Amino acid sequence: MRQEKAKKRESFDIASNTVVLLFALLNLFPLYWLFSSSVKNSSDVIKMPPDWWPRTFTWSNYADVFTNQPALRWTLNSLYVAGLSTALLIVTSSMAAYAFSKLRFKGRSVFFIVFISSLMIPKEVMIVPLFRISQDLGLVNSVYGMIWPNVATAFGVFLLKGFFDTAPDALREAARIDGAGEVRTFLQIMLPIVKPGIGALFILNFVQVWNDYLWQLVIGQNKESKTLMVGIATLMQDLNPNFAYKMAGATVAAIPMLLIFILFQRYFTRGISIGAVKE
Amino acid sequence: MLKKRAMTVLTAALALSVAAGCSGANSNSNSAGSADSAGGTSGAGKKEKVELSLWLTPQWKGVMDATEDGADYDSFFLYAADKFKKQYDKYDVKVNVQVVAGDQRDELLNVNLNGGTPPDMFFESVFAMGDYVHRGALAPLTDIVDDAARKDIAQGYWDNVTFGKDVYFYPFAHNPGTLAYNADMFRAAGLDSLVGGENEIKTWTLNEYNRILETLKTKLPKDKYPNAYPMALYALNNQGDTWNLAYLRMFGNKFFDDKNNLAVDDADGIKAAEWLKKVYDSGYSNPGAESVSSNDANAMFQNQQLGISFTNAVLYNNAKADMKAGKSPSFDMRLANIPSASGKPLAFTYVVGTALFNTGDKARMEASKDFIKFFSTDPELVKASKNSIPVRSSVASEFASQFPLFTAYDANAANMFSFTGNVAGYSELRQVLYPELQAMYTGEKTPAQAIKDYQSKGNAVLQKARESSVIKP
Repeated sequence: MRQEKAKKRESFDIASNTVVLLFALLNLFPLYWLFSSSVKNSSDVIKMPPDWWPRTFTWSNYADVFTNQPALRWTLNSLYVAGLSTALLIVTSSMAAYAFSKLRFKGRSVFFIVFISSLMIPKEVMIVPLFRISQDLGLVNSVYGMIWPNVATAFGVFLLKGFFDTAPDALREAARIDGAGEVRTFLQIMLPIVKPGIGALFILNFVQVWNDYLWQLVIGQNKESKTLMVGIATLMQDLNPNFAYKMAGATVAAIPMLLIFILFQRYFTRGISIGAVKE
Repeated sequence: MLKKRAMTVLTAALALSVAAGCSGANSNSNSAGSADSAGGTSGAGKKEKVELSLWLTPQWKGVMDATEDGADYDSFFLYAADKFKKQYDKYDVKVNVQVVAGDQRDELLNVNLNGGTPPDMFFESVFAMGDYVHRGALAPLTDIVDDAARKDIAQGYWDNVTFGKDVYFYPFAHNPGTLAYNADMFRAAGLDSLVGGENEIKTWTLNEYNRILETLKTKLPKDKYPNAYPMALYALNNQGDTWNLAYLRMFGNKFFDDKNNLAVDDADGIKAAEWLKKVYDSGYSNPGAESVSSNDANAMFQNQQLGISFTNAVLYNNAKADMKAGKSPSFDMRLANIPSASGKPLAFTYVVGTALFNTGDKARMEASKDFIKFFSTDPELVKASKNSIPVRSSVASEFASQFPLFTAYDANAANMFSFTGNVAGYSELRQVLYPELQAMYTGEKTPAQAIKDYQSKGNAVLQKARESSVIKP
């Protein structure tokens, strides 16, 4: 009876793992197609039946992307905008989240609800007023125009507050008894505890800013101030019918994101799972 | 260990990018131009400084030719601006040229219009910018059009750029839409007699066209052309919808009435829709038209999976260049008109020209007008229109021997219809047609129902746009 049950469970495991594997392959296929098409000749990309594996490898499409366009500049702009925005966001969000979680002040809950309700306003609604402010501050065609609106978001505060809430108040009280001030308690005691949350926020915000197409499009209007996503989208509109060239551009845009995911996935999954359980 | 190293490399790259970003050319110059009315003077003379902005979508590369060193989409306008500056005595003018992708145009324009910083000029296909005229965002250019230009550019092009009583775009070039066909496929199917000349835009009667479709379907050798279909049909989105609009006129429908309402729901319009559905159901077109885009159709044609497809002058040249460069299969590609029941073919063109935005800045608008007139009339600069098709007869005839199709396009101008009718709300109207075509191809609606719904929904769109239009008939 028990053996039969174990056998059934085993066959169920095999079946479910096969399904999961199939779904994984299905999800990976577009990426594979993107990479393999980028090293083909243009005519091979649109060939029917398609070449599932490139018959001839050519790196000229990548060379064209970097010689015909300031793609390196766009990549650096994207890294700078996403990197600095995220770093500053972590500073502001962690401080605000700590205050909402651990400090006691009048109207704390009301402030927090008001603050969090701003999550319901889509960014697109704010584009025009934000653009006008950026114009007045001389931030159009500047990477800083892409950075400043992203350095304080309700989402970051909301996410990190959840992590600070899980940190026992007793730790903070012990630190205070031992003579640590608020800043020291925050920096040396509480902040290390929410490291997984910071990791999760880093990756989520980095991806969000990296893909913030609309805002970066309206702010970075000249060729040099474009970011990679906007620049590559421009490439797609190029009258050049070389599909492989466009695929190479899309690959260049995808690689940094893939690297970020691969390197930070540990923090990401840990951060999400820890944040999900409240003790 | 490997992960640690990779993290170090990434951190270093990030730090490097931060350094690069800090020192980079992140100029704070605004997209819109400016007039230094506070009396800014230049070293060369005491002219008021005026900074203009010109935007364009990708048209052609280079000043005159894509083979020039460093040829790019802004090369022509940078050259023209430099030439203009040297001879202009009213202002010390600087023109900032910016290339924007076609699908970024409306987002960028709308944000900048709302922010009060539209560009001074926009070089683009008229059909894509017509709604900005109706919104009052553009200023008329009628006063810079002189008799010499009126004589050199055919009336059909002027009609295309005239809204109400005024000219809003200075026509520079045009991009005629036709059909393209694979003459090798025709011959393989025994249709030699219906193949036109190499430099001809062939006109078939509707009966001949139907015969071509049937013959390609039944007689095309399957070993040489596996998975090939007679003609392209697509309705995934609004891209390439001008050809769908042309098909709906095949049986004589006028499309717009005198009051600029859609008038497609009549016997001729329904007949045209039924024809499309019959072509689709008979397997005379690619399958899945509802989920095929014009780009897909174009790729299928280049890959010899379609006998007849849509094209325009730029696509045609690109396809030929691809074949020559070995980037796509080589075949005998030729041009034909869209046939009609009356025998008179249907032809249309995308006129490309420059619009002037109503910035409210007197100096900038004056200098912009002068610049538009300069590069649209300068004998040397107008020659660049050979990169698509010149609107000027003088340029077309000058290059006729070099580009034999110019003569054919010129002769075809008599068959042209205005597909936008320059109506208010045309851009939004484009969003109404393809869902109805999709419903028709999938069988969700009959052709008559699809046409009826297109007309009623389309007229609601037009009515709303008309009410807010600044152009009164």
